[in-house]
Amino acid sequence: MSGINITELDKVYDSGTENVVAVEGLSVDIDHGEFLVLVGPSGCGKSTTLRCLAGLEDVTDGSIRFGDEEVTDRRASERDVAMVFQNYALYPHMTVRGNIGFGLKLSTKLSGDEIERKVESVAEMLGISELLDEKPKALSGGQQQRVALGRAIVREPSVFLMDEPLSNLDAKLRSEMRTELQELQTDLDVTTVYVTHDQTEAMAMGDRIAVMNGGVLQQVGSPEEVYRSPVNRFVADFIGSPSINLLTADVEGDTLSGPGKFAYELDDSDPVAGHDRVSVGVRPEDIKVVESGRNAADVTVVEPMGNENFLYMEIDGHELTARVDPTVRPAEGSRVAFDFDETALYLFDVETGDALKTKTDSVDSAVVGATEN
Amino acid sequence: MREQQRKDAVWRFLTYAFVITMVVVMMVPLYWMLVAATLPQEQFLQFPPRLIPGTAFLDNFAALQERLDFLRTIRNSVLIAVVYTLLSLVLCSMAGFAFAKYEFKYKEPIFYAILATLVLPIQLLVIPLFLLMAQLEWTNTFRAIILPWAANPIGIFLMRQNMKSIPDALLESARMDGATEFQIFYRIALPTMRSSLAALAIILFLFQWDLFLYPLVILESADMYTIPIGLAQLTGFQRIYYDQIMVAATLAIVPMVVLFLVLQKQFVSGILAGSLKE
Amino acid sequence: MATSDETDERVGETYRRRARMRVRRTTRQIRRAARPAWDRVRFARQDLTAAVPTLPRVAYLFIAPFFVLFGLFLAFPVAYTLYLSFFEYQGVGEGSLFWIDLGPVYIEIPQIAQLSFVGAGNYLRLLGNDLFWQSMFNTSYILAIQVPLMIGLALALALALNASFMRFKGVFRTAIALPVSANLVAYSTVFLLLFNEQLGFLNYVLSGVGLGPVPWLTSEFWARNTIIAAVTWRWTGYNMIILLAGLQTIPQQLYEAAEIDGANRWEKFRYVTLPQLKPVLLFVVVLSTIGTFKLFAEPYVITGGGPTNATITIVQYIYRQAFVNFNLGYASALTVVFVAVVSVFSILQIKLGGED
Repeated sequence: MSGINITELDKVYDSGTENVVAVEGLSVDIDHGEFLVLVGPSGCGKSTTLRCLAGLEDVTDGSIRFGDEEVTDRRASERDVAMVFQNYALYPHMTVRGNIGFGLKLSTKLSGDEIERKVESVAEMLGISELLDEKPKALSGGQQQRVALGRAIVREPSVFLMDEPLSNLDAKLRSEMRTELQELQTDLDVTTVYVTHDQTEAMAMGDRIAVMNGGVLQQVGSPEEVYRSPVNRFVADFIGSPSINLLTADVEGDTLSGPGKFAYELDDSDPVAGHDRVSVGVRPEDIKVVESGRNAADVTVVEPMGNENFLYMEIDGHELTARVDPTVRPAEGSRVAFDFDETALYLFDVETGDALKTKTDSVDSAVVGATEN
Repeated sequence: MREQQRKDAVWRFLTYAFVITMVVVMMVPLYWMLVAATLPQEQFLQFPPRLIPGTAFLDNFAALQERLDFLRTIRNSVLIAVVYTLLSLVLCSMAGFAFAKYEFKYKEPIFYAILATLVLPIQLLVIPLFLLMAQLEWTNTFRAIILPWAANPIGIFLMRQNMKSIPDALLESARMDGATEFQIFYRIALPTMRSSLAALAIILFLFQWDLFLYPLVILESADMYTIPIGLAQLTGFQRIYYDQIMVAATLAIVPMVVLFLVLQKQFVSGILAGSLKE
Repeated sequence: MATSDETDERVGETYRRRARMRVRRTTRQIRRAARPAWDRVRFARQDLTAAVPTLPRVAYLFIAPFFVLFGLFLAFPVAYTLYLSFFEYQGVGEGSLFWIDLGPVYIEIPQIAQLSFVGAGNYLRLLGNDLFWQSMFNTSYILAIQVPLMIGLALALALALNASFMRFKGVFRTAIALPVSANLVAYSTVFLLLFNEQLGFLNYVLSGVGLGPVPWLTSEFWARNTIIAAVTWRWTGYNMIILLAGLQTIPQQLYEAAEIDGANRWEKFRYVTLPQLKPVLLFVVVLSTIGTFKLFAEPYVITGGGPTNATITIVQYIYRQAFVNFNLGYASALTVVFVAVVSVFSILQIKLGGED
């Protein structure tokens, strides 16, 4: 049984002249067998966190525990972890067989025959038995990816670490491998930490998602949770594609008024009590184009996607995106009225970005589009 | 159009003529050497000279061997060059690996200090090294020839440049697989450097193989001579036996020519690698 | 027909693949048989690795061997040459330079040579020495003719071998680059014979076409040219390889664009090739200049510096002073001047060549 406890993890790089804080005060508990996705923009500290877990970076402060064992100061090879790297990091001079078996050869007392058997059974599991005697150079991207996975699996680690393992594959293969990876992880029941910058991938794969920004953990939760109930504006903005529409509005009693005569009357003004200005957020799929309404915007571009249309609109220079039914197709340059439900509305503090109100609509009617691209 | 074609044809003809002339120029001395090495001295001294190789190579060789143990000279040269190349490869690749893949204090200044010595001609070192070797009582030894340039600045520079291209993830992956730093070096880094190592090996081997002034100063007794020293001695005798000298020259040049033909790719990449040091 | 060829090829490929697999399987079986022994070796190595503590400063371990040799045989001698150039050499050192007595540890650094200080005396001496100036002149003369000649030839050859119509490029390149593998002294002895006035092949050919024998080695003028010819023979192919590699990096589109602009052969060379090749060309010039400055083996073997010191080079002069006359201090001063001249020359070339 091996979950992961990360407590108050700090990582500071000392570049001689200045200190760069890469990760600050990160605490998270990961259950045994869980698939946790670390997601965030580049430079947010997600890879550094993963490398600290792997033992490739020294931890400046804080502790890391795998199950009951404190591993903070252990070397990478003594942590019982396996890692899949972004560019696979296959040893170019070794055959697939050599690549998969290398770790066992170096750090286990298994006999050569046992190693051979394990390598072969893992290869069979991944469907690469045919390739065991090829060098990595002769393999396709997807095959290399499998070898990299095989190298991790064969060691039967208590923790898998994956650093953007799918980012080098083309779109079609990527979604195939996504599913395969998830199935594999479920079968093996190994705690997995997966780093990606792609929120779609995060939503699709994670049991839980940990969103990071600027070295600080923003929120940990199920994909639905972070999508529907983001703790702050950053999370709301980062998760979801196309991104949430954000406007700054003045609060006058029950009314929010923003740029371009935008106005919205709240039924429940409790969340905005005590605020003069708030950030207003509406997901593109929650914007409805209506016959007549209080708010209107100019359509700049219509992108027909087949099953739906994306409307790109402008309201006094602010961009607004809507996902609408394919039958709704206003002319570019025309002015359309739009509306949205209060239950779909997000409100954030203008200064801190903290969430004041998030989605309150019923679950089965929402969330749908979030996992698509 | 026809005019243009005619001009092109003339141009092509001239280009081929030039290249073929140069090829002939390059081949004549080597051919001449072979002819001279295979003719008995009397035939060779005839005028006009014979242009077809004879069959006296072994006789000439036996005569040469009587005056100077040239086989031993070849053995010495090969021994020195091989040991030197291996030693230098080890030292340069280890140091190059550290400079490419580790962080340590004063890394950059140290590296540039090494690089600065690249521009110094080796002749600069002959006098102090001679005195140093005399003091160490190393004159007339092979180690005095092998050791000084084993820490070869070109070598460390090339190895650093090439090792930099090894992805860090590859080394980290090995680290996670439980490899020690030294295992990472020789089981992961070195094997991926195979072609660079081959190119460097050729640079180093040729450097040592052609070294003349320094061994001339250090090596004293005939049993220690390298090929260049032995050959230079032969030309310095009262009476010059051209047939014997040409046998010696043939023995010095032909194996390297064969090596060049076999390993041409590595030779060329060696030349180019050495030329990229700007 | 084409499809049947393709099938054949595929069948061939499958066959080869199977053969490869078979070989691998056999080697694997052999390895498998030897495995228990290997495993024991592996485990022993693992235990050993585990027993050795990890060193925090592993990088220093990697550079240490290099540095010991580098310091002793490169850094120290460079500094010592400079030092020596202000002294007169009296003989091999006998006493010790200094010693440290730390009870059980006694370190003694022996004196390297017996010296007497002469200040700038060695430098003044060389300025007034005729042979020094003679050797400078000889080297410069050889340089001034040999480098342009060789690089001109190398460039012409590289251009010819890079031409799209040229066939057998590989063969020509190999043949022309072949002298690169020739040992310096060995090829010099070949030239010694080739240019021999009575027996040499060259005079034979010349007399065949009615030109009298040329005193290749006994006339001052011809002796220098003989050296030039020899060096050019040895290094043209080397430079051609570098230039050819440089030419191959010039994008083909540039030539196509120039052609569309109506450039003829010469204009393409002048406005596309030359500017694109300039860095490589400059490098080759600097490299060759340094190489020719360092000339030693060829004059030593072919002319012995003669006749009447007409071909004695700087390095040869240094050698004579140092190891024939044992004026090691004076020779060191010569070395310092020599290095300075070479450096100034190289820097000048880079500055001039890199201007625009």
